[in-house]
Amino acid sequence: MNEYTGIAVSFILAGLITAGMVVLASTLGKKNPTKEKLEPFECGNLPIALPTGKVAIRFYLVAILFILFDVELVFLYPWAVVFRELGTLGLVEMFVFLGILMVGFVYAWDNGALDWK
Amino acid sequence: MNGATLADLVLLTPELILVSAALVLMLMGRRTRGTPFAVVLTVLAALGSVFAACWVQSGETETAFSGMVAIDGYSQFFKVLVGAALALSALLSVRSIDGERVPRAEYHTLLLLASTGMMLTASAVDMVAFYLGLELITLCSYILVGITVDRPASNEAAIKYFLLGSFASALLLFGISITYGLTGTTEFAGISAVLSGPGTSNGPLQLVGMGLIAAGLAFKIGAVPFHAWAPDAYQGATAPVAAFLASGSKAAGLAALGRVCLDAFGAETPALSATLVGLAALSMTVGSIIALSQTDMKRLLAYSSIAHVGYAVMGLIGGTPEGASATMMYAFFYVFMTLGTFGVVIALGERGRSVNGYQGLAAQRPGVAALMLLFLLALTGIPITAGFVAKFAVISNAVRAGHIALAVLAVVCSVVSAFVYMRIAVHMYMKEPEQPAPSRIPIAVCAAIAVAALVTLIGGVLPGTLTPWAIAP
Repeated sequence: MNEYTGIAVSFILAGLITAGMVVLASTLGKKNPTKEKLEPFECGNLPIALPTGKVAIRFYLVAILFILFDVELVFLYPWAVVFRELGTLGLVEMFVFLGILMVGFVYAWDNGALDWK
Repeated sequence: MNGATLADLVLLTPELILVSAALVLMLMGRRTRGTPFAVVLTVLAALGSVFAACWVQSGETETAFSGMVAIDGYSQFFKVLVGAALALSALLSVRSIDGERVPRAEYHTLLLLASTGMMLTASAVDMVAFYLGLELITLCSYILVGITVDRPASNEAAIKYFLLGSFASALLLFGISITYGLTGTTEFAGISAVLSGPGTSNGPLQLVGMGLIAAGLAFKIGAVPFHAWAPDAYQGATAPVAAFLASGSKAAGLAALGRVCLDAFGAETPALSATLVGLAALSMTVGSIIALSQTDMKRLLAYSSIAHVGYAVMGLIGGTPEGASATMMYAFFYVFMTLGTFGVVIALGERGRSVNGYQGLAAQRPGVAALMLLFLLALTGIPITAGFVAKFAVISNAVRAGHIALAVLAVVCSVVSAFVYMRIAVHMYMKEPEQPAPSRIPIAVCAAIAVAALVTLIGGVLPGTLTPWAIAP
């Protein structure tokens, strides 16, 4: 057994389950099409639109702040897994890391990045 | 492989001081507007890190963070140099920032963080720490170049610098990954051991990896043919930022190049030598010749810095410790010469921007003109200035390595560059003043110029003073 067999199995299982759902839905399901239902699903956005609309520049700041905390999470999860082995030093290091991140957050807050005006 | 211990952190005290100062500035920035808090804190942090760099060094090589960084004479030398460049750049910023709308705290935070990257690069003996340090420098530099957001030229310069810079970073990273794939290690010592060990053929892939790393580093130091970003970035940036890029960034890039050439690719001497000879010859020639036709001071100094990188790289050819030591001395003196020249450009304000602005300066401000003349002579490489000592050492290294033609070319380029620098001297001393005398120069800018002038003179009069500290890796 190769170590990649598990991955192959999960690929096949995932493929079978999704294929099964699509097949069952299209054969057994009730069909009552409307214009909206026939459009591709795009989380509420129009699937095909020209980029003519304006997007508020403030979303840029929100996205940057999101990344700040996203990166924090990327480090926090593995840290939590090996927390016991790292001991006190690991705890202190992580708090220093969080402290530095918080400085960034406080800076953004201080300079009004969180005020949506 | 444990995490970092306290002993590891103590070895990185210089970097930690700079980072702490940067964090304090971020928190205090809004509260200290309109006060010289940021400049004072930056200069104090820079001096603190210089002292820490001297204090941490015990005389023998120590490694920290599982062999990621080494604290040795080489890193100490460059940390002191970076600290000095940071302090002088911060002092030079006093005038320019008052004139333009720049957020003071953010500006100094970025200077501090970029210097942290430079110090880390000088210490790095592992490709990962090395890349981290270089990226910290360039990411801060992009923002510094574009920090005057209301000037379109500054925005344009930042975008150009960013696009070319990220491309160069990608090249560097690709080279690192190829080298890692071939040798199975990211440590410089390990790479060198595998490359010089038995059963290694100098395969094409190895040359590609080395070439890509050299190309990425050549971009960072602005060597021809990877120099295209430098003139635009220097011209678009405010003068203190250009001064910081031309001094600190170049020194860190040279430190990185020296470390990679001697520690990691020591075994690869023939191919690496050929690459370095090419970079040096092209940079000297192109930099000196294009500088002839410049009328904007910052652009002229950008081409001059390109030429000087060419001279500095000459010391690394052959891969001998004496040569590397010559490059270190060149980097050291070049930083002070160029900071001094930029200092005069900043001191003259609006007038210092174009070459014509220097007409008749000697009649109006004899002291400033004399200092400018000193820096110009040093940049040309005339005796009794540090420029001569530095240039002599690298050229004799090229002769030792058997590249007589390159040494001759270097001398010819020096003569060509004399026309560039002496043109300004002629403007200062032999023309009638056309513009009113410059306004009073802030004391901080004066101090920075004086320090730069002092080092330039001492280096020229007592050439042996600094040599014992220039220890190759």
